[in-house]
Amino acid sequence: MGVLSFVQYFVDLGPAVMLPIVIFIVALCLGQSIGKSLKSGISIGIGFVGIGLVISLMLNNLAKAAVAMSENFGISMNIIDIGWPGSSPMTWASDIALVAIPIAIAVNLVMLALRMTRVVNLDIWNIWHFAFTGALVHIATGSYTLGVVGVIIHAAFAYKLGDWFAPIAEEYFGLEGIALPHGTTGYLAPISVPINCLIDKIPVIKDININPGQIEKRFGVIGDPAIMGAVMGVMIGVLAGYDVRGILTLGIQMASVIILMPQVVKHIMGGLLPVSEAAKVMLQKRFKNSKFYIGLDCALLLGDPVVVTASLLFIPITIFLAAIIPGNQILPFGDLATIGFFVAMAVGVHGGNLFRTIITGSVVMSLTIWISNQTIGLHTILAKNAGQLTDPSAKIASLDQGGSPITYILTQVFNTTNATGLICVGGFYIACVIFTYFWYKKGQQKMVVAEVREGQKGMAE
Amino acid sequence: MKKVIVACGGAVATSTVAANGIKELCKANGIDVEILQIRMSEIESSLQGIDLIVTTMRIKRDYGLPYVNGMAFLTGINKEETEEKILGYLK
Repeated sequence: MGVLSFVQYFVDLGPAVMLPIVIFIVALCLGQSIGKSLKSGISIGIGFVGIGLVISLMLNNLAKAAVAMSENFGISMNIIDIGWPGSSPMTWASDIALVAIPIAIAVNLVMLALRMTRVVNLDIWNIWHFAFTGALVHIATGSYTLGVVGVIIHAAFAYKLGDWFAPIAEEYFGLEGIALPHGTTGYLAPISVPINCLIDKIPVIKDININPGQIEKRFGVIGDPAIMGAVMGVMIGVLAGYDVRGILTLGIQMASVIILMPQVVKHIMGGLLPVSEAAKVMLQKRFKNSKFYIGLDCALLLGDPVVVTASLLFIPITIFLAAIIPGNQILPFGDLATIGFFVAMAVGVHGGNLFRTIITGSVVMSLTIWISNQTIGLHTILAKNAGQLTDPSAKIASLDQGGSPITYILTQVFNTTNATGLICVGGFYIACVIFTYFWYKKGQQKMVVAEVREGQKGMAE
Repeated sequence: MKKVIVACGGAVATSTVAANGIKELCKANGIDVEILQIRMSEIESSLQGIDLIVTTMRIKRDYGLPYVNGMAFLTGINKEETEEKILGYLK
């Protein structure tokens, strides 16, 4: 058997078998014991098999109900949002994901060496966001090299976002020395900046705020993911015209999907732990100085009370927006339990103002839903390549990463299929990013001026 | 058997790192521990029989049970201090 046919045989084993072998070897090379390496490899396989089961449960039941519901009401919401717990495993299973980890770390090291960033990214899990962009560019263009370019651009951009929003992480969230170059929260943060400045200029509106305490108490019970899943299932069952038995079954099935998703996906993270620990040790040894930010997962922001409240409010708001956006085909579901990721940094930019967060969040979610519709085709191929679709006619989408402007812009730039969409949505997003850059520079200037003044005062005394 | 909640945003990434750290810590100290890895929004309905809550993010809510912030498992900074705090509650 030649080398090529051996490699082909290896790849044909499928990600659920191939990746455990790769991780086993990588873990051994990183100095883990045979037992631990074996456990890591098998763990990642468990994650893949598990998410496959959960996605089948979701597509076989919820997708059918969504089709029936759409037919009843003459709407088109019949493709399920599998959420990031669904899209991240299929990204890790893509042939770009494993090179994405060393590439993202290399981009980080180069940028640190050139003083282009202060972020030392320790968040290995969220490299899947960059890998997703790379995988979609690869599928859209057929070029692996362009896919790698996609990973590099997305990674570099994410670290810059980490720098730009680190002052917010410190001032509002109290996370000193920490940056959040995380996929979703990071790339959506620039939208909140121009909106905040705009609202500041409108009389009366600029003074509006809402007290979040009441809302969390009133809606708290729906915020529990199991209950939320069940309520969603029951509601869609009713709208689909199911009988009582069908409605109740769908309710329990959807509660199961929401609860089981992280329970299976966490095994993939468990398998990546040796890689993630080794990267952490290597990076921390080199960059101990306090002038660096530690780049971490933006899950760190989800404990803030205003973010918690926004996470609750945006469950119904997102479903409502999905229903009114013309031509939308996606039923938001898999991302609803963690919708806070989409608006977490906006809460900080708005200084905890819930009213402003609702405005920014509505823009963010509309944009996300529109883009997710554009990426259904590529996303479905990604899922098929990962062996996650048992029904060949099934289609899937995700809000969290399928709806990312940076992924959309890069796939469209390398393979333009919708020039108007690229110009309008891409133009809007890039304008927000440029605005954010100048906002950050202005903030930096203010800080320098304040420091100089402090210094002068100190000298005068 | 001690029961510990380890929670983060999505119960996938950062909580896995912290849960792994706590498991190893307890193993090294001979403590029998059961870890419940969940989303932050599930803490309130999972409090029964829990000895300690660890979250990777800062939370402002008080659940009326011993609480330790587990961010040190992600950053490696002040990890020993965090581990001692956890042991203090579980021993």
